[in-house]
Amino acid sequence: MEGSSYQRFPKVKIRELRDDYAKFELRDTDASMANALRRVMIAEVPTIAIDLVEIEVNSSVLNDEFIAHRLGLIPLTSERAMSMRFSRDCDACDGDGQCEFCSVEFHLRAKCHSDQTLDVTSKDLYSSDHTVVPVDFSDSAAASGEALDTKGIIIVKLRRGQELRLRAIARKGIGKDHAKWSPAATVTFMYEPNIHINEDLMETLTLEEKRTWVESCPTRVFELDPVTHQVMVVDPEAYTYDDEVIKKAEAMGKAGLVDITAKEDSFIFTVESTGAIKASQLILNAIDILKQKLDAVRLSDDTVEADDQFGELGAHMRGG
Amino acid sequence: MLFLTTVSLWLGKPELYPPQKERNLRTTREALLPYECRQAKISYTGKFMADVCFQYDEKAVIREKFNFGQFPIMLQSKLCHLRGLDPKKLISYKEEASEMGGYFVMNGLERVVRLLIAPKRNYPMSMVRNSFSDRREGYTDKAVVIRCVREDQSSVTVKLYYLRNGSARLGFWVQGKEYLLPIGIVLKALIDTTDHEIYASLTSCYSDKQGNGKGAVGTQLVGERAKIILDEVRDLALFDHRQCLEHIGQHFQPVMEGLGKEKFSTIADAVLKDYIFVHLDNNYDKFNLLIFMAQKLFSLIDQTSVPDNPDSLQNQDVLLPGQLITIYLKEKLEDWLQKAKKLLEDEISNSSKNFEFCSLAHVKKVMDKNPSKQISSAVENMLKTGRLVTQTGLDLQQRAGFTVQAERLNFLRFISHFRAVHRGASFAGLRTTTVRKLLPESWGFLCPVHTPDGEPCGLLNHLTSTCRITSYFNSQGKVRDFFKIRMSILSVLIAVGMIPSLPKLVQMGLPDVLNVLLDGRMVGYISSSEVEKIVAHLRRLKVSSSHVIPDDLEVGYVPLSISGAYPGLYLFTSPSRFVRPVKNLSISSEENQNIELIGPFEQVFMEIRCPDGGDGGRKDEFPATHEEIHPTGMLSVVANLTPWSDHNQSPRNMYQCQMAKQTMAFSLQALRYRADQKLYHLQTPQTPIVRTSTYTKYNIDEYPTGTNAIVAVLAYTGYDMEDAMILNKSSVERGMYHGQIYQTETIDLSDQGNRSSRSQKMFRRSNIDTSVRSIIDSDGLPYVGQMIQPDEPYCSIYDEMAGTTRTMKRKGSEAVIVDYVSVDVKNKKHPQKVNIRFRHPRNPVIGDKFSSRHGQKGVCSQLWPDVDMPFCGATGMRPDLIINPHAFPSRMTIAMLMESVAAKGGCLNGEFVNATPFRSSVKKTNVGDEEPNAETLVDELGSTLIKKGFNYHGLEVLYSGVYGTELTCEIFIGPVYYQRLRHMVSDKYQVRSTGTVDQVTRQPIKGRKKGGGIRFGEMERDSMLAHGASYLLHDRLHTCSDHHIADVCSLCGSILTSSFLQPQKRAVREIGGLPPGKAPKRVTCHACRTSKGMETVAMPYVFKYLAAELAAMNIKMTLQLSSGAA
Repeated sequence: MEGSSYQRFPKVKIRELRDDYAKFELRDTDASMANALRRVMIAEVPTIAIDLVEIEVNSSVLNDEFIAHRLGLIPLTSERAMSMRFSRDCDACDGDGQCEFCSVEFHLRAKCHSDQTLDVTSKDLYSSDHTVVPVDFSDSAAASGEALDTKGIIIVKLRRGQELRLRAIARKGIGKDHAKWSPAATVTFMYEPNIHINEDLMETLTLEEKRTWVESCPTRVFELDPVTHQVMVVDPEAYTYDDEVIKKAEAMGKAGLVDITAKEDSFIFTVESTGAIKASQLILNAIDILKQKLDAVRLSDDTVEADDQFGELGAHMRGG
Repeated sequence: MLFLTTVSLWLGKPELYPPQKERNLRTTREALLPYECRQAKISYTGKFMADVCFQYDEKAVIREKFNFGQFPIMLQSKLCHLRGLDPKKLISYKEEASEMGGYFVMNGLERVVRLLIAPKRNYPMSMVRNSFSDRREGYTDKAVVIRCVREDQSSVTVKLYYLRNGSARLGFWVQGKEYLLPIGIVLKALIDTTDHEIYASLTSCYSDKQGNGKGAVGTQLVGERAKIILDEVRDLALFDHRQCLEHIGQHFQPVMEGLGKEKFSTIADAVLKDYIFVHLDNNYDKFNLLIFMAQKLFSLIDQTSVPDNPDSLQNQDVLLPGQLITIYLKEKLEDWLQKAKKLLEDEISNSSKNFEFCSLAHVKKVMDKNPSKQISSAVENMLKTGRLVTQTGLDLQQRAGFTVQAERLNFLRFISHFRAVHRGASFAGLRTTTVRKLLPESWGFLCPVHTPDGEPCGLLNHLTSTCRITSYFNSQGKVRDFFKIRMSILSVLIAVGMIPSLPKLVQMGLPDVLNVLLDGRMVGYISSSEVEKIVAHLRRLKVSSSHVIPDDLEVGYVPLSISGAYPGLYLFTSPSRFVRPVKNLSISSEENQNIELIGPFEQVFMEIRCPDGGDGGRKDEFPATHEEIHPTGMLSVVANLTPWSDHNQSPRNMYQCQMAKQTMAFSLQALRYRADQKLYHLQTPQTPIVRTSTYTKYNIDEYPTGTNAIVAVLAYTGYDMEDAMILNKSSVERGMYHGQIYQTETIDLSDQGNRSSRSQKMFRRSNIDTSVRSIIDSDGLPYVGQMIQPDEPYCSIYDEMAGTTRTMKRKGSEAVIVDYVSVDVKNKKHPQKVNIRFRHPRNPVIGDKFSSRHGQKGVCSQLWPDVDMPFCGATGMRPDLIINPHAFPSRMTIAMLMESVAAKGGCLNGEFVNATPFRSSVKKTNVGDEEPNAETLVDELGSTLIKKGFNYHGLEVLYSGVYGTELTCEIFIGPVYYQRLRHMVSDKYQVRSTGTVDQVTRQPIKGRKKGGGIRFGEMERDSMLAHGASYLLHDRLHTCSDHHIADVCSLCGSILTSSFLQPQKRAVREIGGLPPGKAPKRVTCHACRTSKGMETVAMPYVFKYLAAELAAMNIKMTLQLSSGAA
């Protein structure tokens, strides 16, 4: 069965890139691709997070599970994660997850000796591997001009005489298994809107009507030029597809005042990282993983059954 | 020579001491703190001592101290160690920072005395009841009833019945029997008076001149009745005061205890003193009150006034914990003295022993036979069980259910125990629903929303947040001098023109003058033209700072009317009345001195308007004299927490009140020091974004009850149908609604096993069994932090006598973690009592129950992956929780939608949103501070969203998480405060394939604890039949139940007569490799003496059991067997 090729060549244009934030355009592909990327970024890009906690002493007010849960949620720098092994298929340690290939050991010892409350934070976690440490937000805070005395993420507060001593094992994992392994705080995309103002119809409006129409959009998509009194599209991407302006135009009796369509093949992505991996790396990792996943499908490519199984999709895969 | 010596015994100088630890060392007396009682499962009690006074003849009084045992002490009461401590100090005493007390600690449990509704004290109430006419021949169904309460809070109810012949009978209960006296005899016995005077008094409410105008309660018949009453007495040949007294004395001689040998007149005096109008001391007052009651009764008969409704709050009081304990203690002490007297008398009559009556030592020895410590333990038992053990009944309508345990499930449930008022256990079984009705009289005092539905609906009410109850104590905590208060009121009344009733000079009556009753005492008359001025004057004096009149005086002015309520001016100063604050409009609001406390009796006749600026339809005819402070004052504390409850359908608010009390919340701050049986605890609660002002007022943030969850309203997967809801798996993994149950196991070695053996037991690990080493420490107790699986041991007990160790095993089906172990230190060597607190981790799972604050509960049906959840393109927001839109149309919880929109706006602005209900009903005094441009609340909420670039209605365009395409419609999404309810599947699921069966029927047993199954009942059977699923039916009801193969004798048809024959010991040669040949079972019929007809038949075992049961009744059951389909 031979089908025509649906191969496309998606383009990426990066708009903004920071360590924990990325905004880029993804063009010439369809929603399935965009959503797959989003899903992989959230749920399948591996990171390292504390998975096993052995508590030696805990006389704090929080109970053991609570502390273990809090430790698990602390983002750890996970550049190594892609090259690390999942402890479940680690040969070196028979999968007990205690070897250097698949785990990182942490120690925490804190005791309060003073009358002042002691904050135990992620800074008190001592890692056996200098590449895997709790994410330090103080740099980014300092960079943005806030002179905050950030001391890391608070784990527990201790009062005089209370003590916390524990050993923790961090492992590689993915967000699908537990949210603590998700590297993405938020990944979202939207279709790029195509906004067309019917200029002729617009000119039939009075200035006051134009103003009310422009203001009817909750986000600032349109603006009224103070000089020419013309309605301009200033920020099409602020449009949330809420149809407010269209409804307003209809209410004013000017249906078709504006025509807004979504570009089916153009997406604007926003990625916020937890800090475990850089946003740029997160995207690259996600693409890698997506490829691997597709490879798994392609393995059955030679067989005739694959075509039976996937039909047109098979050809699509062969092409892309 | 015979000397007559008398000894008088009485009690005096009672003393109660603060709770102290029992110690062997007398020198150090350590305070016993409430938290120690809770942990050690003992009672918080203080020593109760009193002097028993002996007086021989008229000689000097000899005082002897007696120990009356350990008396329960209420927390935060005057003798409690926590009294007046600041929060810091309370914390150091291991209490909550906001510990309010008000309950008792009995055996480690916190018990509260329920508030109980009682008939209004010292107010003659006219009643119509069918049971009255069944009393005796000639009685009608009408009576006037008064519950008289003495200064010591004990009460006696007196009823004045109307007879068909025109006379009346005064009825009261003595020792479980009702005695009925003709009213004439009582009137004459009370004071020495003439027939004419009685006639004049009775007929004072009627004169020929008056017509049927306003307030004319008397009719011509009154005079006739007065004659009948007087004739009745004359017919009994009783003409004067003395004769009447003797008549009464003669009749009551057998029942008046301890007065058997006295003169008749003395007995009669005692009867009048102890049973008739006990709230009054003066016989003239009693006479006047009886005349008043007779007049009210006649007016009821002549239908010139309507009966009072005993179910209405207008005619109700409340029974307070202190009163209950006081009257119970009084009776117990009286019994004790009576018994002491009896013991002494027995000793004297028993002349064989040498008993010296005049010797105090001898008398004391006898007294010691009468255990004094039982007094306190009786009170303690009453608090523990809520049951009164009494002969007389103490004039209360119930004997049990006076106390309940104050559960600390969450803070709202806890405080509700103190605000709940119960109508009385006797009404719970009543078939009529009249008592449960919500009556307008309870407006402002009882919450119309906060009552459970179902069985106790309408009987268990809750006080509104502004309602208070008048106290026996003043604000300084001193006992109020009610006599002084009354005298001062009296002088005020006389000053403004009241004609005092004593000395009796004029006979006056309605409608010219109104009777003035002050706490059930006729104090005088006020001219009906003057009365309204006087009432207004009294109200002004109430709120004035001069304190001539107490601020909680109830000025029950019942105006003249045509056949309305019986007019009069009824003043009450007594404790245990409901009161609530309202604004008095006749007083300028400047000094803020216009807040008046009003009661339910006076409220009915007052004009109180809502502060919305309107007149409530009163027009100018009845101008409002008072104004509500805020409309939310009519709701209870819990009902006040529902945001915008005025926008919800009312039953939903009721459901929320119930559900708020069963949420898993932040239970306690002093959690570490608690040893409660079961405590539910939410790990990471939040304060609601949308909140009413009550949250701040009652510091609910100290004990938050839920989490602000992002709720999307859409039908997404089908897993949200029928009130199911989808939780976001990632949200849950990040800690949303995580929680745990704390459960404490108390092991007391002293009450284990048989006491007779007196074997010394101690906690110790076995030296032989090493398997428990990993769980149990050498002291026989588990390691803290240790996880214990079901059926694993958690502590081990060594028996010294037997030399054996026994382990206690965990029951249930879930693993627990040892949270805390506390040991009692009384016995330093070997602790005898141990509390082991376990922690059950309870993170949300499918099947757990959640609810919003609007009576919208749902069950978690899926923990849905985050990536599959719909997301917002602009913000990337994914919901924490998805509910179905069908939850709204029929339930009409508009406030929940508003909450979602408001919370969204609040989040965006970083502010809390005030959602106090009825805000639009409050007249805006200063328009400036509110948003003046927002016309409606919805507009106000919507425009805040617009400002932040969101949709006015809270809608958002969401993309499918699975396909990445836009959902076809916009989705309503926003934060809603959700509560996690305590009903969890982990406590409820029931599974069984095989297991224990019933001994008798061999059917599976029931009960989750025992591993039983769920009954496959008749209705389930019916549905199987309807489907024709006969194999399934057979499987369920037979194979999986009591399948049995019975041997039946086809000759006699009996299934009971089969008996096994012992197979003869025949040497069966074993053939190698083959299983041993199974010898065929030889069964014979015992009756036929042959095994010829034996057949095997499959049947339910109960059938065989039925045959056996029938046989026991001499009924033979025979089966006729036939083979195959024939």
